[in-house]
Amino acid sequence: MYLPDGYTTLTKRAEKDDREVYDLFFGPNHPGMHGNFGYVLEMEGTQIVKVRPNAGMLHRGFEKSMENKRWVQNLSLIPRVCVPDPDPNEVAYCQAVEAIMGVEVPRRARYIRSVVLELSRLGSFLMGMGGVGGALGHYSIMYLMMESRDRILDLFEELTGGRVYHIYNIPGGVRRDIPPGWKQKVLDLVDHLEKRIPEYDRLLYENPVVHTRLQGLAPLSAEEALTSGIVGPNLRASGVKADVRVDAPYAAYDEVEVNIECSGGGDALARAVQVRMDYLEAIRIIRRLLAKIPDGSFKLDLGNLMKLKVPAGDAYSKVESSKGEFGYYVVSNGGMKPYRVAVRGPSLPAGLYLCHKHLPGMKIDDVAVWMATLAICPPDIDR
Amino acid sequence: MKDINELIKKFNSFFQEKAVLTRKYKQQYQIVTGRDELLGILNWCKQYSFYHLANIVCVDWLEDEEFELVYNLWSYEFKIGCLVKIRIPRARPWAPTVFELWGQAQVYEQEIHEFFGVYFPGNPDLSSLFLHNWHDLPPLRKDFDPVEYSRQAYTVEGLGVKPEYEKEDNSEGRES
Repeated sequence: MYLPDGYTTLTKRAEKDDREVYDLFFGPNHPGMHGNFGYVLEMEGTQIVKVRPNAGMLHRGFEKSMENKRWVQNLSLIPRVCVPDPDPNEVAYCQAVEAIMGVEVPRRARYIRSVVLELSRLGSFLMGMGGVGGALGHYSIMYLMMESRDRILDLFEELTGGRVYHIYNIPGGVRRDIPPGWKQKVLDLVDHLEKRIPEYDRLLYENPVVHTRLQGLAPLSAEEALTSGIVGPNLRASGVKADVRVDAPYAAYDEVEVNIECSGGGDALARAVQVRMDYLEAIRIIRRLLAKIPDGSFKLDLGNLMKLKVPAGDAYSKVESSKGEFGYYVVSNGGMKPYRVAVRGPSLPAGLYLCHKHLPGMKIDDVAVWMATLAICPPDIDR
Repeated sequence: MKDINELIKKFNSFFQEKAVLTRKYKQQYQIVTGRDELLGILNWCKQYSFYHLANIVCVDWLEDEEFELVYNLWSYEFKIGCLVKIRIPRARPWAPTVFELWGQAQVYEQEIHEFFGVYFPGNPDLSSLFLHNWHDLPPLRKDFDPVEYSRQAYTVEGLGVKPEYEKEDNSEGRES
């Protein structure tokens, strides 16, 4: 390439220019950003000095508008809090309502809920693993994973009528029973997904480029993760054996075996590998659930749900989503609408607090990878 | 799993009538206390393996003229959750900051300050995080009416732009 004398590339010039600190808007319009969220990065050359989270562009006032809707109407709103993994929201909210009312959900409904949760987890993991590939510039990984995820969405469409937002769980159970033949389709799908894992390995997990980029990036010790509110796969990647499905079993998880394993390195590579391990375990859990699914009714009769009245009280209910503990704190004053609903999203501690510790000193090209491996999903920050 | 009853006994002997510990359901406990005891109790909880602060929630009890702050803790060792609740007066609300115990509390307190107007003396950053150019009541308070606000703000008048028909007619030489 012909370069005139004394000419240096833009990157080299930026790296040399160590006196100037300038603001760089990473998002909301950035290909490496997930959703309408952003960081204002104070840059020195190509290195980050300081970071200011720039939230609020996705704020739809979920918590406030839930106070003005009836108990059941809210179910069409809450899946929007987390787009790739919507079912944990529905289940956590319904469980909180059921805990205040003191009702017990039928056993079949609990099994169906668990199956739906695990399928949703698979879909979200596929999106997350594809996101790691996309952030590193390996777009073929992304396309492959999206193709697999679409098969899961097809099954959701058959079960619930919706592909992305299912609005399937209601207080007291689920909206409709499993259609005939659906169970076999799920089993066929998980077989197919398991067969494809070697393909993912060749592309992503055995890829030397991925290893070079992820190894040692943004290490997180077990103690720091515990006291920073980090949950789920990210916490397990730091070596803490914790999972809501085991620690505080909900739905049907007290009746099936859930084996959690830790990759335990604490860096970005360990977090990426942890997702693969959890993905495999989710496939196994679906098989165990479908083998044991009992007959019976799939919902409680709570009368006209639009006129549902919940006695005064409060409850916190949490669910292990693909990103970790997703919780709803619900307060009722005995009326037909909730008095207060507060969402505990798994992304907030990482996205708004941990960024101050991890990003300074990092190169700009690692920011998107850092976000992808920590699975930061902005809608549950801006809620 | 360790013995939870022993933990409860220890707690009761340490704080006696300053705090009330009850079991809500299954693995969920709650502690009701006052603002003065809050830091002591949270410190005690953290020492006894409640490492995880899930979130801090503010509830606006308009009729009681009080705010309720709920600190949501979880112990990975005992496998129990605990909601620590305090009530603070609605007029000039403040509560001690807990960000030195849990770093992420800084963000939760910043959020509560923004949406409820509760002050947390000691918190290093209470600047606006989500709302831009907000000059009205903190929006998650119960006396804030979003519909009424939208009616006023999202009209031609609310945006400070005068509609065409109200503009003063400065053109000269036009007679009716």
